[in-house]
Amino acid sequence: MTSLSNMPEKNTLNPSRRTFLKASAMGGGLMMTIALPGCATLKNGGLTQAGDTEQWDANAWLRIDSDNSIHFVLDRVEMGQNTYTGMATLVAEELEVDPETINVSFAAADSAYRNTVYGLQITGGSTSIVSSWQIVREAGAATRMMLIKAAADTWGIAASDCIANSGMVINQAAGHVQSGQQISFGDLAVIAATYSVPSDIPLKDKADFKLIGKYNKRLDAAKKSTGTAGYGIDTELPGMKYAVFTRAPRWDSELISFDASKIENLPGIEQVFAVNKPSAIGVAIVAKSYWQAKKAQTLLTVEWGDSELTNVDNASIFAQYEKDLAEDSGKNVRSEGDTQAALANAAQTVTTEYKMPFLAHATLEPQNCTAWAKEDGLEIWAPTQSPDMAQVAAAKASRYSLSDIKVNTTFIGGGFGRRINQDFVAEAAAIADHAQQPIKLIWSREEDTQRDWYRPSSLHKLSAAVDDAGKITAWNHQMAGSGVFDYFVGDAAPAQYPFMPKFMFGMLESAGKLGEGIIAPADGSIFEGANEIPYDFANINVDYKKSDSGILVGNWRSVGHSHTGFIVETFIEKLAQLPQVKVQQDSYQFRYDLLSRHPRAQAVLKKAAEKANWGTPLPGCTQGISIHKSFGTWVAQIADVEINPAANANNQIKVKRVVCVVDCGQVVNPDTVVAQMEGGIIFALSAALYGNVTIKDGIPQQTNFHDYPLLRINQAPSIDVHIMNSTEQPTGVGEPGVPPLAAAVANAITAKTGQLFDSLPLTLG
Amino acid sequence: MIQLTVNGVEHSLDVEADTPLLWVVRDYLNLKGSKFGCGAGLCGACTMHLNGEPIRTCITPISTVAGQAITTIEGLGDQASLSSVQQAWVKHNVPQCGYCQSGQIMSATALLAKNTKPSDSDIDSAMSGNICRCGTYPRIKAAIHAVANNNATSSDDLFTNIMATAKPHEMEAK
Repeated sequence: MTSLSNMPEKNTLNPSRRTFLKASAMGGGLMMTIALPGCATLKNGGLTQAGDTEQWDANAWLRIDSDNSIHFVLDRVEMGQNTYTGMATLVAEELEVDPETINVSFAAADSAYRNTVYGLQITGGSTSIVSSWQIVREAGAATRMMLIKAAADTWGIAASDCIANSGMVINQAAGHVQSGQQISFGDLAVIAATYSVPSDIPLKDKADFKLIGKYNKRLDAAKKSTGTAGYGIDTELPGMKYAVFTRAPRWDSELISFDASKIENLPGIEQVFAVNKPSAIGVAIVAKSYWQAKKAQTLLTVEWGDSELTNVDNASIFAQYEKDLAEDSGKNVRSEGDTQAALANAAQTVTTEYKMPFLAHATLEPQNCTAWAKEDGLEIWAPTQSPDMAQVAAAKASRYSLSDIKVNTTFIGGGFGRRINQDFVAEAAAIADHAQQPIKLIWSREEDTQRDWYRPSSLHKLSAAVDDAGKITAWNHQMAGSGVFDYFVGDAAPAQYPFMPKFMFGMLESAGKLGEGIIAPADGSIFEGANEIPYDFANINVDYKKSDSGILVGNWRSVGHSHTGFIVETFIEKLAQLPQVKVQQDSYQFRYDLLSRHPRAQAVLKKAAEKANWGTPLPGCTQGISIHKSFGTWVAQIADVEINPAANANNQIKVKRVVCVVDCGQVVNPDTVVAQMEGGIIFALSAALYGNVTIKDGIPQQTNFHDYPLLRINQAPSIDVHIMNSTEQPTGVGEPGVPPLAAAVANAITAKTGQLFDSLPLTLG
Repeated sequence: MIQLTVNGVEHSLDVEADTPLLWVVRDYLNLKGSKFGCGAGLCGACTMHLNGEPIRTCITPISTVAGQAITTIEGLGDQASLSSVQQAWVKHNVPQCGYCQSGQIMSATALLAKNTKPSDSDIDSAMSGNICRCGTYPRIKAAIHAVANNNATSSDDLFTNIMATAKPHEMEAK
């Protein structure tokens, strides 16, 4: 286990089908229980072999009720990526129903499911369709087969004389007295429930797909356009109170004391108390209304203990990376040929040192969690990407054991990796435990921005060897930065590795014990995408030195690819701009020729060049090109960019258009792929133009959207997405739109002014 | 007691005068469609209409709108009877996470009420106060244009026209 982006490759699931499906009767209907694969490599806290399918983890199901309603329980969370529609489409394809007739609900991390397997229900790593592509269709197909058998038995005909269509089974037996009649799924469900699941479940041939690759609706669009989708922050309980929580400016400080004398008698204030759990340290204010709690918070004074971060700032962090990298280059993550010799003997070497900033997630729904502590258990409602890690976090922060905690999930107002860390759940659990009444904890935007688990900053040193003929003979990349794994393993492996409140050493030790890089894959959150560079060089060397800044870090949409896409594709551009290289071919052809081992990449790049009229920019613009593979998906982007050095700093770089070509294998919902590319591009453009969390005296300096700006509609480019037609296995789309973008924009500026970029956000020099 | 008319319904509320309208509507009236995003009028997730004008309700003390008419997303239409803007939002699959979309729809509705044929730059100025972290801006723009054109064309035709521009169906051969 590592950063989430490594999951798809490691998630090798080839279990027998029978292991996954079970049928039973439920209230006059048919219930199919299916175990959807979670993060296989972290099963049992990462301590058992990946892919252990022996134990039953019934965490999702399909149900046909006698009233003909169809229910699908999604064990992934919906945070905008439209897995809600995608999974329903997979079921519907094989069940022969309209996806709109399927009622989708969110799975709880219920204690009933937790007693045998601790498999993480993470939604992340662009894995939902990848990992459920087979099993969800099989659930639909098996259900259809059993319903058809029920009808065939009723009519006394062969199953092959029946077809399923739109929630009905139709008698097609020629000459049969009831030929042409039909029975609803609902009426058949009770009979089907007495059958066992077929041992052989043939799936539709791709040529027969009616929905997959074609279905373009978004099933939650009406809810989300009428304000009726229920997010975590909308949770309402009888007698519920509102909580705010004051944390230390630096996350590792202890709470010494607090003075609530100015607060206690204010209207609506019910309780003010300290919370001192390793994962939740601060002062809670519980009030009748949010505003009462929020106002009171400004009058609270707290004395905090020492911090090891007091003298930490951007300069000291990068000095530490530099120092650690100077000691040794760390772990080798790619080695081909003899890079050192090639560099030593090169006619010319080219070098760049890159500095990548911390980035905030800035989900529009601030962190929040509702918790209700009762005598016999704790119930949680949380917009979380990891319901079972939430359960662990709640257990550690309260008196309750795992089996007494129920976690309900909700629609999520943006995830992007932020909600893999469960601090907001721990806090709500601890507060509810103390208050012994239902409370809703809401973070302010300022708290959300300053207490994020940031995309780690990192330092990168690249060098390349070039011969007289303009051929690149070696590529060398050393880098240093924090790994994100250490910062969520605390909730992922609860019993053995409790979260340590102190600076980095305890956590590093825990992570080491867990076996990161030994029984779990290496944490790629800094180097992924750099070790996998696709270009055909004879000598390649990539090393990663772990250097922990002490600043909280986490998975940020596309994780390590979020910076390696920029670094690799701008350094390639620097090489493409060398006179002896440029004289032979342009930036597009240079990449194309070097991708000869990757025909899918070449096809994507070629299509992008065609669609963007590469070489003929929009009026006033120059073009930049970039390609990157992440989560199994190739994405090429060409940006048409206009620059205006005279404008104010926020508007000097205007991206007019981005052409994006994506190869994600078999597509389920084409419009979702387009939407995810559009969203990825705009998310990445916010970071490319503005994204920068700075640290001063150990405290993140940005607080709200005035100093951590996000792209607005007037700054958004037009976006033109093209999907490669493919019948290859589906791969992720939630994240791969992000990595190529910053480089495409930077390279377009380079084409105009010659300026080369070695840091983000992009600043005209 | 503060008087307030929300979506045509009069309310008499015992609320502290400085409580922002957003929290009154969400937590006293239990209308959860309007969202909290920033608390500083920077993101637009809390947008409602005050006498038809879009306002940022996270920074609007209830006392300043007493006795006036407020419209929230719930006042525009429900799933059974969507407003024209909501219909366009659904047709164009605008929402991703959806958290900002109540605010986006309130701003778009106010724009279209005044300007039935907004240009791209009219849309930019009217909508730039509403942040969408998921990046649905191209579809917001397309949906607003669709509503503007809707007077002349059936919504199905519009969907086809707009989506042809966005090319969601296009599958490229290798």
